[in-house]
Amino acid sequence: MSKLGRLKTKIIIPIVAFVFGAVFSFLGITKYGFYHATKGPLPGFFPSIVGICLMIVSVMTLLQVRSDDDQHSRKENWYPVLGTLAILLGCLVFGMYLSLGIFLFWWVRIYERASWKATIICFVIMGSIVIGVFGCWLNIAFPKGLLFSWM
Amino acid sequence: MHNLMLLGNGLLNVLSIQNLLVTGLGAILGLMVGAMPGIGSLAGVALLLPLTYKFNPTTAIIMLGALYYSNMYGGSFSAILLNIPGDSPAVMTTLDGYPMATVKKRPGQALYTSNLSSFIGGFIGIGILIFMGPALAEFGLKFGPVEMTALLLVAMTSIGWLVGDNPTKGIVLTLAGILVATVGMDTLTGSPRYDFGNVFLLGGIPFIPFVIGTVGFAQVMKLIDEKDVGTKTMVEGKMSLKGSLLSLHELRRLLPPAIRSGFMGTFVGVLPGAGATTGSFLGYAMQKGFKSEEPLGTGAIEGIAACEAANNAAAAGSFAPLLALGIPGSGTGAVLLGGLMMWGLNPGPLLFSSQPEFCWSLIASLVLANLLTLAIALGIIPWITRILSVPIKLMVPCITIVCIVGSYSSTNSLYGVIVMLISGVIGYLCEKNGYTTAPMLLSFVLAPLLESNMRKSFIISHGSISIFFTEPIACCFMVVLFAIIATPIIRGILSREKR
Repeated sequence: MSKLGRLKTKIIIPIVAFVFGAVFSFLGITKYGFYHATKGPLPGFFPSIVGICLMIVSVMTLLQVRSDDDQHSRKENWYPVLGTLAILLGCLVFGMYLSLGIFLFWWVRIYERASWKATIICFVIMGSIVIGVFGCWLNIAFPKGLLFSWM
Repeated sequence: MHNLMLLGNGLLNVLSIQNLLVTGLGAILGLMVGAMPGIGSLAGVALLLPLTYKFNPTTAIIMLGALYYSNMYGGSFSAILLNIPGDSPAVMTTLDGYPMATVKKRPGQALYTSNLSSFIGGFIGIGILIFMGPALAEFGLKFGPVEMTALLLVAMTSIGWLVGDNPTKGIVLTLAGILVATVGMDTLTGSPRYDFGNVFLLGGIPFIPFVIGTVGFAQVMKLIDEKDVGTKTMVEGKMSLKGSLLSLHELRRLLPPAIRSGFMGTFVGVLPGAGATTGSFLGYAMQKGFKSEEPLGTGAIEGIAACEAANNAAAAGSFAPLLALGIPGSGTGAVLLGGLMMWGLNPGPLLFSSQPEFCWSLIASLVLANLLTLAIALGIIPWITRILSVPIKLMVPCITIVCIVGSYSSTNSLYGVIVMLISGVIGYLCEKNGYTTAPMLLSFVLAPLLESNMRKSFIISHGSISIFFTEPIACCFMVVLFAIIATPIIRGILSREKR
């Protein structure tokens, strides 16, 4: 990873925090109101104060950030994120159960090349938790998806 | 003495076959519900409530009380083994529990520490509840908005300031967590704010997907690194009952923080609205001020003991205002209160005199649940630690699925999964860059309470900040607050001078 790339990961949190604080304090003061002489603190009072404090502390953190060790992540670290996004999209088409099943099979059997025995054990355990506990015992209505709704 | 006699009558009542069975069932269900990320005691009690309609009020509340109580034990299981807190009071347990289980490869000992501390904390909490329940509830009533604001400021600052290596990083996440919590409806007027025109944001950011993402999903992303360094399993800990037991020296290390946090947790539990989560955070923060054999956050027994004892004690303590004043100490307490009213009981100062059988049976059921849950939990530890012998390559997809299903279940919509995913990525980036996410979770939970109390305080004082220094209890907390802020600064200056 380039030096610029590493620097970005180090400063991204204080910068995002600063912007976050600025947006919340700006909206708090201008849109939601800060203080009223008779009504007392208005809805923007608390977030505005916290937002301003966040901006100040973010600048302090940003000044310290140069001494921090460089940290970077590999593309593999982001596979669970991609998998979850795929499940979210899959839920809309195939429904939750099938999407989770496809994800589990793809990860365990195809990506990790686990044995059939391990794959089946994973399916049995996760099936008992998802279908048995959440679906049947707790009666969670998981999305069926367009495919099953049409059927 | 009179209270002990009443407790004895309660115990006789609980020891009937039917009540004994429901206490055991409640304890087992509580362990399961607590260990399952995304459910928690609130949802557990709410889900079980309809099943108890046909019971008589005493039997029903005994079952719900046992479930609530053992849930505090169960929350630590997934926190220690998977770094996913089963419920918000278990968030702090992950800080030392997970490193002890994985880095130090002592999962059995971490679970025993958690369970023994929970038992000690619970024992202290119930003991105080028996002897001083109504009196404690009266003291809790002295906590108005000003005192609560000061207490909450201490709780938030101490965690933000003391957890992790860098205090400013802790404070950044504490403040960010507060701002995230302000999204949705205003706590006092109910008007929408920071919803950016989005109907989902109008309802606020749901806590359970937020905590699952920040802690659990971020952990999944981090696990990928460990997968490739040659470790076949997350840990190769001892699986036998004997091999998981704590040594005498470790028991000695566990006792002082557990006892201290037990007393402190009970007091926090008595305060209306504070609850087990605040208790556990404060317990950990308090331990930071005491000497620990190993540094906190690296798998120290003292860290696990402090927060686990505090949350169980707070759970017991919260029954004092619930029964004596009808004020629930937490969300779960509110559901229990709803149950009491559903059965035609009116919690308040007269409940102890008008329904002594009911009150003392409930307290006796907590005693029994504390013993039963300890026995059950200790018995299953050698088997439950086997979870950690599963290869990481199989754990990653399985934990991802648990995170997704848990988040979906808590909101009944894919919005929960989206919140979990976003907070997971944020949590991962934070952890990668040396930011500990626990302060963000604490501030997220406590922000609504802090905001409403702070605004009420300013309404009372007509905008003057001096009210926090003129009220004696609040003034004491403010002194503690300044001491917490000043300690690391003074330490830093002193260490520089030494160099």
